Amino acid sequence: MTTLWNKPEISRREFFEKCAEAGAKTFVFGGLVVTTANLLLAQDPEDVRARAEGAVESRLHDTGLGDVRARAEGAPKEAAKGPIYGFVVDTMKCIGCGSCVRACRDENNVPDGFCRTWVEQYTFFPNGEVIVNSPSGGADGFGEDLPSRNMPEELGQLPVRGFFVPKLCNHCINTPCIQVCPVGASYVTREGVVLIDQERCIGCGYCVQACPFGSRYINPQTNTADKCTWCYHRITKGMVPACVQACPAKARIFGSVSDPNSEISQILANNRVQVLKSYLGTNPRTRYIGLDSEVM
Amino acid sequence: MNSARHFIRLLALLAIAAAAFFKARSMVVPADFGKLGHFRASAITDAAAREPRHLGSVTCAECHSEISDPWSKGKHSVPQCENCHGPGMLHVKVVSEDSVDAYPDPIKQNKNALRPTTGIRECEWCHLKTFERPSTLKSIKSVGEHITATGGTFTPASKCTDCHNPHTTAVK
Repeated sequence: MTTLWNKPEISRREFFEKCAEAGAKTFVFGGLVVTTANLLLAQDPEDVRARAEGAVESRLHDTGLGDVRARAEGAPKEAAKGPIYGFVVDTMKCIGCGSCVRACRDENNVPDGFCRTWVEQYTFFPNGEVIVNSPSGGADGFGEDLPSRNMPEELGQLPVRGFFVPKLCNHCINTPCIQVCPVGASYVTREGVVLIDQERCIGCGYCVQACPFGSRYINPQTNTADKCTWCYHRITKGMVPACVQACPAKARIFGSVSDPNSEISQILANNRVQVLKSYLGTNPRTRYIGLDSEVM
Repeated sequence: MNSARHFIRLLALLAIAAAAFFKARSMVVPADFGKLGHFRASAITDAAAREPRHLGSVTCAECHSEISDPWSKGKHSVPQCENCHGPGMLHVKVVSEDSVDAYPDPIKQNKNALRPTTGIRECEWCHLKTFERPSTLKSIKSVGEHITATGGTFTPASKCTDCHNPHTTAVK
């Protein structure tokens, strides 16, 4: 019988062939064993129940509205674990003053030409044309004349409606940006805040491209990715984000969605809220009141 | 016996490669990486450690009650002091430590370490008429038009604060 060990004249080629064969067999057999073991374990009724509960729990958690079950039972289970934060933007109230953009710049040392939060101006014209404008993110206000409009004279040049939409990082539950980070520099905290580890980030820019909302940029001062943190250094000290504090129209509401008595929980309970680009399934924690279908 | 030697050589190479890999990994990956997820656990405390720069009007009121008292009773009680004057953290530091030297040039030049106000730009941010602004908000088309309409004389040096008290909006 020819085996690996009692055939001294085995050639190098033969040796590697045998090694490859043994490796392949181990791989296939090992896979079978693991799969069978998993199937057998899943038959255990205790385990099945535990898994189902886990799934329900994570689903409740993933609504972005806190632990619904804990609220129903009147037991603030999430409160013991710490808050889960949420953000509401009321577009009906925004006056487009840009205070939020300036406050964010000053608070977070945002370099010129970049924004962690910005305000978009939507203007609708009688021919159906929509002009979206955001000069320097709205930091200098919106007093300027609008760009020229291409429409027949008889329709009239005056806009028919318009509004402002403040934007910021949506702090999604299913984050495309964290998934693509090759070094684990993007992460989400227990409170639901998506952050960037400036020490680990290598500035590859994958996350900047992955974000469908354009919330991220490469900071030219640090050459790392940067974005809105919901002012994590403030909210962990019991303050509100700089933009929320600066807003004179109270169009921005921040707070703990896991506390049913907080202002934001009351607003979420009493309003019809939407998210940006819901069809992408990123499940943002930043929610909007009065979001128009034209808003991208 | 030839094959055994092949085998030992291969194993030795693998062992060296594995040792080199784990050594390199321990040097590159931080110790607390993976403790809370696929990231450096201490990054959270790093992110939370930064100092807030906007302190809120409550802090301003501690020293400037002569301005904040009428402000809080007037029509401008919702916009914060720092919306127009800039973040107050450096100002508090400079005033309490009485030294501007530690800070970079633009702050040294502005001795109170606040954003200089123009008395017109700050007003225009909110009160310039645009179609998108709610009609309930008091807004003007331009400063010149507003001054002419209210019976004043407009000069290029005219400011909103010539007539209005910016903290209460009251006409002087």
